Amino acid sequence: MKTKTPIIDPRIKRLDIERSLSYNHVNQMEEWGTYEVFHQKKRGEQHVHAGVVHAPDPEMALVFAKEQFGRRLKCANIWVVRTSDVYSLGYENEDMFETTSEKMYREAGGYKLRDKINQFKKDHKLQNAGS
Amino acid sequence: MYGGGYIFSDPTQKEIDDHNDDPLLLEAFEAKINEGEKVEPQDWMPYEYRRQLIRLIEQHANSEIMGALPEGAWITRAPGFKRKLALIAKVQDEVGHAQLLYNAAETLGKSREEMITDLLNSKSKYSNVFNYPAKTWADVTVIGFLIDAAAIINQVANSKGSYGPYCRALERICYEESFHIKQGYDAFVALALGSFSQQEMLQEALNRWWQPIMHFFGPSDTLSVHGEKLMKWKVKMASNDHMRQQFLDSYVPKIWEVGLTLPDPLLKKNLETGIWEYTEPDWEEFYKVINGDGPCNAERIATRKFAEEHGSWVRQALMNPRQQFSIPLA
Amino acid sequence: MQALRNLLLKTADDALILGHRNSEWTGLGPILEEDIAFSSMAQDKIGHALALYTILHDQLGEPEPDHLAFRRPEKEFYCCHMVELPIGEYDFTTIRHFLFDHAELLRYDLFSNSAYGPLSALARKIKGELKYHVLHADSWVMRLSRGTDESYNRLQSALNNTYSLALGMFEIPDNEQELINDKIFSGENKLKSLWEEKVGDLAKKAGLEIPVVENKMAGFGGRKGHHTEFLHGILEEMTQVFKLEEKVEW
Repeated sequence: MKTKTPIIDPRIKRLDIERSLSYNHVNQMEEWGTYEVFHQKKRGEQHVHAGVVHAPDPEMALVFAKEQFGRRLKCANIWVVRTSDVYSLGYENEDMFETTSEKMYREAGGYKLRDKINQFKKDHKLQNAGS
Repeated sequence: MYGGGYIFSDPTQKEIDDHNDDPLLLEAFEAKINEGEKVEPQDWMPYEYRRQLIRLIEQHANSEIMGALPEGAWITRAPGFKRKLALIAKVQDEVGHAQLLYNAAETLGKSREEMITDLLNSKSKYSNVFNYPAKTWADVTVIGFLIDAAAIINQVANSKGSYGPYCRALERICYEESFHIKQGYDAFVALALGSFSQQEMLQEALNRWWQPIMHFFGPSDTLSVHGEKLMKWKVKMASNDHMRQQFLDSYVPKIWEVGLTLPDPLLKKNLETGIWEYTEPDWEEFYKVINGDGPCNAERIATRKFAEEHGSWVRQALMNPRQQFSIPLA
Repeated sequence: MQALRNLLLKTADDALILGHRNSEWTGLGPILEEDIAFSSMAQDKIGHALALYTILHDQLGEPEPDHLAFRRPEKEFYCCHMVELPIGEYDFTTIRHFLFDHAELLRYDLFSNSAYGPLSALARKIKGELKYHVLHADSWVMRLSRGTDESYNRLQSALNNTYSLALGMFEIPDNEQELINDKIFSGENKLKSLWEEKVGDLAKKAGLEIPVVENKMAGFGGRKGHHTEFLHGILEEMTQVFKLEEKVEW
């Protein structure tokens, strides 16, 4: 393969490109396994999933994640977990999360006391405390 | 930065015959997209949806990694601390975008190694613009301003697509691109408002890049049945012409207002229709370059091969023979 | 004060030139994640140079940082020879990064106690960056030395070829005693002995052997403005655009 124009990248002039022309295959797993990255924006907040890095081991995953996910975003802390170590409930089970209206007893909005109390105060002609 | 002009291929008859999707699952899938829900990696999806998405995200990732080369060549030459630090950070972000995008594509089941291998063998494409040389510093400012501007238009459109991991990657990419375009614009304007020879250098670069920029969004879409399906599935989000018009609308005035011209005598906005009129760019040239015969295709691929070859002993030294590919979660 | 000026300049020049060299890997690194990490550190280094030139400009009446970095004649650069060499392969790059960054971290540790306020303030400011740089360097040296036979041999031979050059970092300037007396900097010999201990320990852990250096002055000269042929080339590139037209904004 011949380049048509003179090479204009000064870095390239220093590189031995000719030698590499036959290099055309990257082996499976040569780029290592993946780690899921969780980053915490600041103390007190949750760690949130930010993405994935390829790394040979957890320590290197941290070294890489620090730059890939911490360089542009504010970051207080990072976790990494091997992808294959994460257990997840499949999306086919998403319907399990649907709550029905009969479950109002576990919602704050399911408890409407104020009307009752106001009625009581009206019936007994009580003044509002502090007023 | 990313390259437009995605090449969506039509499936072969055999692929259609071999992958008859279950009509009930397909109906549920389409209903979900119609309601504006995102598709996640573990979901059932039509064969053709997966195939086209891999292609799309892979081309986008390839464009980022190849896009790092023309500007990367100018890092050591960038004039002054401000321009230099911005340029390194920008090129680095492009590598970072490639990283995010290859991961998004991996969630669909194709490994990064396979994608890099296909790139090295020209089996997969990347944006044509990166097959043109950045001859002077002015070219770098044109790329940083206008190619990134074009990329943002495309990426903002794609970020409203249906595939969750791609949307998430694009969200972060768009956030970073907003710095890229600002630094590009800043450097561009410095030349435009600079000395006579700086202006001349910029005008020449702009003339060189105008056709590749017009090529950027790809040829007019012919809305085939296939294309309509990709639109319905929210894989393809806007027509090429629509995006090109949007680009001209936002950026031609910015070019003209700093006293530069564009090398197309027909270029003007039709005030009645609100549509930009222009000379149709040479699409034969577009196909010639995308098929490998552009001014820098050989140098770009050779450089990528160099990088991969020289990194191989490093990667292999840290390989764990027991580790197996597991598809990233999200 | 000449000694202080010289101390700031050589520290800045080392960072500027090595930052440029390391930035050449941006887009060409062995794997995407490493490409990103290494590029960040190149930016940090160029940023450290900028910070030091800014001190020289603001406090010591030297020209603007852009002038100091991109318009100074080669003979007035005081970087050591090690940072001038081309990036080569990742083995040399990694070893140079390891040898240089440990010295840099220790140098700034000493700077953080400097009686010269701007220098101690800078040292405190960039402490976190330098900490990451050596974590990164150590991680790679440990892994490559325990990786394959090839990676081990490559590291060892890069170490053999680079170690004597690294000693050039500690070349003693003429008027160093002034800095020591004024408690601005504890001196290159002190720094060198700290560095030898640190690097020696880590090399041992990695199973690498520190080579016996016969000519301890082989990498000397940079601090006095004598350079390898490679500095000329990189300075040409760095100034290529600036030289097209002086006195304009680029």
